[in-house]
Amino acid sequence: MNGLLLVAGREIRTQVRSKSFVISLVISALLIGAVAFAPKILGGSDSFKVGVVASQRLQVWGDAKVEWKDYADEGAAKRAVLDGDVDAALVGGTKVLTDGEIDDQLGLLLQSAHREAQIGAAGVTVTPLVMQSVGADTRYQKTRTGIAVVLVVILFMLVIGTPMMVAMGVVEEKSSRIVEILLTSVRPVQLLGGKILGLGVVGLINLVVAIAAGLVGALASGLAVDFPPGMAGIVAGVVVWFVLGYLFFAAFAAMLASLVSRQEEVGNVLTPMTMTMMVTYGVAFYSAADPTSTVATITSFVPPFSSMVMPVRAAAAEVPFWQVAVSAVAMAAAAVAVALLAARIYERAVLRTGARVRLLDVVKGR
Amino acid sequence: MIGDMLETQELRKTFGTGKVALDRVSFAVRPGEMFGFVGANGAGKTTTMRIVMGVMQADSGEVRWKGAPLGFAERRKFGYMPEERGLYQKMRVADQIEYFGRLHGLSPAAAGKAAGDLVERLGLTERAKDAVESLSLGNQQRVQLAVALVHDPDVLVLDEPFSGLDPLAVDALAEALRERARSGVPVIFSSHQLELVERLCDSVGIISAGRMVASGTVDELRASEGRKLRVVVADPEPGWAQDLAGELTVEGGREVLVTQDDDDQRVLRAAMRAGRVEHFGVERPTLTEIFKEAVA
Repeated sequence: MNGLLLVAGREIRTQVRSKSFVISLVISALLIGAVAFAPKILGGSDSFKVGVVASQRLQVWGDAKVEWKDYADEGAAKRAVLDGDVDAALVGGTKVLTDGEIDDQLGLLLQSAHREAQIGAAGVTVTPLVMQSVGADTRYQKTRTGIAVVLVVILFMLVIGTPMMVAMGVVEEKSSRIVEILLTSVRPVQLLGGKILGLGVVGLINLVVAIAAGLVGALASGLAVDFPPGMAGIVAGVVVWFVLGYLFFAAFAAMLASLVSRQEEVGNVLTPMTMTMMVTYGVAFYSAADPTSTVATITSFVPPFSSMVMPVRAAAAEVPFWQVAVSAVAMAAAAVAVALLAARIYERAVLRTGARVRLLDVVKGR
Repeated sequence: MIGDMLETQELRKTFGTGKVALDRVSFAVRPGEMFGFVGANGAGKTTTMRIVMGVMQADSGEVRWKGAPLGFAERRKFGYMPEERGLYQKMRVADQIEYFGRLHGLSPAAAGKAAGDLVERLGLTERAKDAVESLSLGNQQRVQLAVALVHDPDVLVLDEPFSGLDPLAVDALAEALRERARSGVPVIFSSHQLELVERLCDSVGIISAGRMVASGTVDELRASEGRKLRVVVADPEPGWAQDLAGELTVEGGREVLVTQDDDDQRVLRAAMRAGRVEHFGVERPTLTEIFKEAVA
């Protein structure tokens, strides 16, 4: 155990001290913080500025906010519209000036408000319709999808990036033959376990910083107001899913990497892992857009796809807790199975330097 | 003290290809003894050392330390320098030595102190905070040695420690090893530099094609070689050595007879009859000669 922690400690120290770690951490934090702002900038805004000339301000219902601004005459209002100071200008209670086609939502808002005002003037009071959803709560749908997409990207970056570091580390030790000295004082499983643990901690640091940056960005941009209930659960879930997915893919990567002795061969030997990862990523991305589809539902239970699909599904739509639990247990079992296999393969292959070792030979113990 | 002996008993190893790498390799290294392990390339030196260090498993036979089978816990106190040198290239010199000290079971304080001492003794003080990759090969070799010595090992196993060193570095390393041996540590090292082995080692093992063909002190090996007589005769009568066993060579105007089987007095009489005897004596075979004889 002591050996394992020493190895893990070295991995953490080596990474955290490196410039590339700090730089990538800052960049990813900035990027994700920026993403949290993006919906405000890119998405359709739901507040409008409307100029008024010689007419009363209309009563507007619903979520949209309208900010009214008075202008002395039509000419001034027209200039304001053209300058973009206001989205539209209501003139004399009869016409609306815009710069090009009017925003659909604003057009509807003004029309209905105008209609109501006229009806009201005729002495009829209109009671607005009460909206009630009898289906799923979809108020947060857009935000949920957004969060899910961001999660896929973060999880993908870290779940592919960190096992890559594990693979590079395994080959570094093998190619420099330092592994021969290491294995006289630590057992192979300690060396492998320590490496996976240490780099996992590094990955977690990345993940936590990314999530924190996203949350801070969301709070600052006001996006956090739209967060669905249970956001804390979603975040905690992501951490758990990262750990499970990372364990699976890191063990997978280490197992394959222990077969080769040169850094140039790493990419090639890792192909089975990267392919699995790409498929997982593809399915997860699809699920972010369509979380209630059959594909999303099924793959959210199948390891290792579930490691990315389930957190995404859970963020994008409501998922019963038992489903998440069952999927997590299955994923954990798969990760442990791969880790055990990896420990066996690694132990047998890591001291065989030179030509690439064939997996079949290792399994048969040749 | 005899208990602190490192032994290999009947080590056997066959590789996947069917090649027999080791065939019943046995030897013993006593405390404080320097054991030189010599053999041609591919003879099995590295395989034997890897098995001793537990990075390779023997098919049969065992390694014993202090009279019992060598286990992981005891082996952790050994120091090892593998044939292929390996260090973390991007790690700082002092950190690296300290890290290996910790892996070998030293406390953080002890590892730090041992690393500091070694850095100073090996003349690396100014480079202590540099990454290993920025060091010259000679200095990297020193760090490699420090990694093997940091935990004050019970046994030292060094595979070709002298290869690639300049003469000064060879002397410095030799002195470092002697010092360890003097403190009672069995030291095993392999080398192709036979004069060096002869000069340094208390005993020698010669391995050829996976089998120990000779082992013992250099004197014992010489004794088993048999006495060789060398006679140099100036301007001898032709054919004087016809009746004598041995090998006759001509060097300038002199004829040299080297014989192992003939009676020394008979040879001397024949030589004196033939001409002026310039040299008559028993040859002390060098380790190189013993080696060539043994592996032939």
